[in-house]
Amino acid sequence: MGVLPVRTIGIWMLAVPLAILAIGLAFKGMAAANPSFFFTWPYFIEVLIAGLLQGVMYSLVALGFVLIFKASGIFNFAQGSMVLFAALTIVGFIEMGTHWTIAFFITAGIMVLLAISVERIVLRPLVNQPHIILFMATIGIFFFLDGFAQTIWGSDVKVLDIGIPKTPITVMENANPSDPNDPWQYGILINQYDLIAAAIGAVLVTVLAIFFQYTRTGRALRAVADDHQAALSVGIPLKTIWAIVWSVAGIVALVAGIVWGGKAGVQFSLALIALKALPVLILGGFTSIPGAIVGGLIIGAGEQLAEVFLGPLFGGAIQDWFAYMLALFVLLFRPQGLFGERIIERV
Amino acid sequence: MNDVSVDQAPMTSELSTDQSGGPVTGPRLFNEVLLEVNNVSLSFGGVKALSDISFDIKKGEVRAIIGPNGAGKSSMLNCINGFYHPQEGTITYKGKERRQMRPHEAAKTGIARTFQNIALFRGMSTLDNIMTGRLLKMKSNLFWQALYWGPNLKEENEHREKVEHIIDFLEIQDIRKTPVGRLPYGLQKRVELGRALAMEPELLLLDEPMAGMNVEEKEDMCRFVLDVNDQFGTTIALIEHDMGVVMDISDRVVVLDYGRKLADGTPDEVRSNQDVIDAYLGVSH
Repeated sequence: MGVLPVRTIGIWMLAVPLAILAIGLAFKGMAAANPSFFFTWPYFIEVLIAGLLQGVMYSLVALGFVLIFKASGIFNFAQGSMVLFAALTIVGFIEMGTHWTIAFFITAGIMVLLAISVERIVLRPLVNQPHIILFMATIGIFFFLDGFAQTIWGSDVKVLDIGIPKTPITVMENANPSDPNDPWQYGILINQYDLIAAAIGAVLVTVLAIFFQYTRTGRALRAVADDHQAALSVGIPLKTIWAIVWSVAGIVALVAGIVWGGKAGVQFSLALIALKALPVLILGGFTSIPGAIVGGLIIGAGEQLAEVFLGPLFGGAIQDWFAYMLALFVLLFRPQGLFGERIIERV
Repeated sequence: MNDVSVDQAPMTSELSTDQSGGPVTGPRLFNEVLLEVNNVSLSFGGVKALSDISFDIKKGEVRAIIGPNGAGKSSMLNCINGFYHPQEGTITYKGKERRQMRPHEAAKTGIARTFQNIALFRGMSTLDNIMTGRLLKMKSNLFWQALYWGPNLKEENEHREKVEHIIDFLEIQDIRKTPVGRLPYGLQKRVELGRALAMEPELLLLDEPMAGMNVEEKEDMCRFVLDVNDQFGTTIALIEHDMGVVMDISDRVVVLDYGRKLADGTPDEVRSNQDVIDAYLGVSH
């Protein structure tokens, strides 16, 4: 994980635009062959950007999984319900009349408390059990949180508004087209909400990546992920580390909950966006924070482009399965994901 | 490998435990007891791993624990280090008696160790691995760490300097940034030693530091162990199978067999002890 070598970044900076260009040209070719296939470059770019922004939001959810997986090797099934729980809690406080910033800090505090109790009640008795047992425990946490959140705050769909404008903005508009059919005359529409949400996600991810790579606690987290016994022998207290990891994952869940809840309303289905994080994780690798980002971007962009341009050819609704297919495809060639730690095995 | 712990180690249950450690007659004399093991017994279910073991480790010495495979040497280290909790007996460390201790508490009180089958953080670089050894010495709080600024940055730099000294000391400058999972076995052992050294321990436990090494690597490792003892004054307890190495570098040797103590004394005393010879070479019945 962490900072990629410069050489690798160079390759990606070249490969990614080329790949996008190739996809665009392929679509253009298909449009030329098939008149029912609609394609213009501004429209392509608009869909691409919308997809990328959506992708950052997927990454945000995936990030929560990566944090816990890195530090304990557990796939935390409950991450989705943590998102729901956090979103419902912050909406609950806002509805009580608290300003959303104060509500944010209260909810963050509650997520930390939740993390500590998860460590105490669920993880501590299961130390040294196989990972599958811990995974099952997280399924239990999922159902508990899911029910608990709705018992407290009710199961109605709620509106979460923290003042991010939802109107789209237009860029690269050619206001005085010389050609009435100029595709650029309407410019590219970008959803402001998605843009701001993506910015929030980007900041969060950068901070976490630096934290994990360079700080004492970050190093301890990675150490615990690698080898429990060795970590103990250099004096890392496992329990504290787990509490920290779950707290950070809880706060990431809160941010994801705000961003997604603000977009689609706070309701039960928020817990299911965790399912969307799964292909992102497979693509990016379960152990890599940058992987979660890149995975999210690829899934977001890929699924939007497929839905809009290829969808009509299949009769629509590609979006629901495209991401999983992409993930399966990656799994065939790189089982550790694009950025996952390569499995080094000495024989 | 000149592993002496051959399979012909016989049943020695009839042999009495030799307590004749006697006064230390080696060239180096140590007075202050750093760690004392008193009548420690440890069993897993019905299997007795250690029965009634007593010995001490004096401040500043190199203490070897030897014995055939399965003698309970690693179990002994694990008790000292807090991974295992002996059912009976006590361990006195720096004058404080204790029965049970968690490994990270042991680390806090200045006990560092390496493992028989290398336990490094494989995905992390050599530098990061050794830096983890400094974790207990670092104090900056989460807030500054999250900002990666202020006290945290200063602290990181200070500790990085200490770690660079260790890297120089162990002559592993060129693998600083390599993920340790890719290093050859001998170097991994060296990195593990580095991580333990970074903790600036008072007592360093080495579990077979030279196992699986070739002659050159063994010589290097011996040199490092002696230098650590010499330059940092670290007390060292090591488990080793290579008798040549053990006799050369250790001040005193304790011999275990089937969880019992066979002998305890200077290398010369142990070498000439009949029970030890029997345990290693076999007795004719």
